[in-house]
Amino acid sequence: MTDSTPRTGEHPVPGRTRGALDAVLRRTRRPRVALTFAVYSALAPLAFASFWVLYVLGPHERVRRARRMQRICAGAFRFMHGALSRLAILRFDRRAGFGPGVLPAGPCVVVANHPSRMDISSITAVLGGGCTVVKPAFFRKRSLRALMDGCWHIEGPGDNPLATGRVVDEAVERLRHGFSVIIFPEGTRTPASGLLPFGRTAFEIACRAKVPVVSVAVRCDPPWMTKETPMFAPPHPVPRLRLVQLATDAPASVDFESRALRQRVEARFQLWLREARTSREGT
Amino acid sequence: MTDTLEDRLKRLIVETLVLEDVDPASIETEAPLFGEGLGLDSIDALELALAIHAEFGVRTREDDSRNREHYHSVGSLAAFIRDEQAKASASGA
Repeated sequence: MTDSTPRTGEHPVPGRTRGALDAVLRRTRRPRVALTFAVYSALAPLAFASFWVLYVLGPHERVRRARRMQRICAGAFRFMHGALSRLAILRFDRRAGFGPGVLPAGPCVVVANHPSRMDISSITAVLGGGCTVVKPAFFRKRSLRALMDGCWHIEGPGDNPLATGRVVDEAVERLRHGFSVIIFPEGTRTPASGLLPFGRTAFEIACRAKVPVVSVAVRCDPPWMTKETPMFAPPHPVPRLRLVQLATDAPASVDFESRALRQRVEARFQLWLREARTSREGT
Repeated sequence: MTDTLEDRLKRLIVETLVLEDVDPASIETEAPLFGEGLGLDSIDALELALAIHAEFGVRTREDDSRNREHYHSVGSLAAFIRDEQAKASASGA
């Protein structure tokens, strides 16, 4: 595969220098990832402790506290992505936002495919906050309680189909307070073989709250931190994470029918994925 | 011919969830309702739970850890309803 886009820095570099830099990046990719992971592991407890301090000492009014903690969290994710880009581990330009798409002025339901572990941090970095529907096993981790509760995230339904009612109610409440809600409608990470069927929860939430659904496509090229490519097997060239806003759908356009809304959005993601594969194979 | 609970449930599923292209008789009693079976989703499960309460007077608790088991198939749902109705009549007796 060839790629005409310079990977070694933000600016084009002469061919020979680029080749040398490329070789260095290729040879050092595993140690760089290991070192970054070690630094992250050392700093993460401090970050979680800071969240506990903010949670305990910050404003106790739920909405105010959530706004503040989401802002801080988004800032931390921006910093993290900035550092990963500078270390040439994962390129993500959060200033590019959701591509050419324009976000609605008010709260919305953001749905995205979920190819890598870095999706939620990149989406939050661009959105500047949002309440995320989180897997119960992750949501209930004691070390994350301040973060989950403080940011007013939502515990996902897990494998109990009837817990979805609670998720819908909680999400609608967040939207009515002006927060956006982020959901991965596949319920887990997207496998390399293609999209998993979308659940209807995100679309039911949008229909009940009467807010638009923003479809954001996530592309990590070459793939990394997917189900198939583990963290410590980083690919070369440096993976580039991109977010593209595919469309914004108002639930009124389908008479507030969540089934129809899901079908429309899922079909759009399938089309995008086919086109993305074709363009990848063509390069 | 008398209608079994399973037959009533199959009709209820089709009517409640407006499955226009599904004949109730074609639903297999032990086939999964979700995913690769009838293809229902979690919002369908909620609608079905409400319909079951209205039709059979059986309430499904949202926090019951056995919900996935109860809602696996028409057969498991019928067993759950029979169980709950028996419990209700035993406590009422």
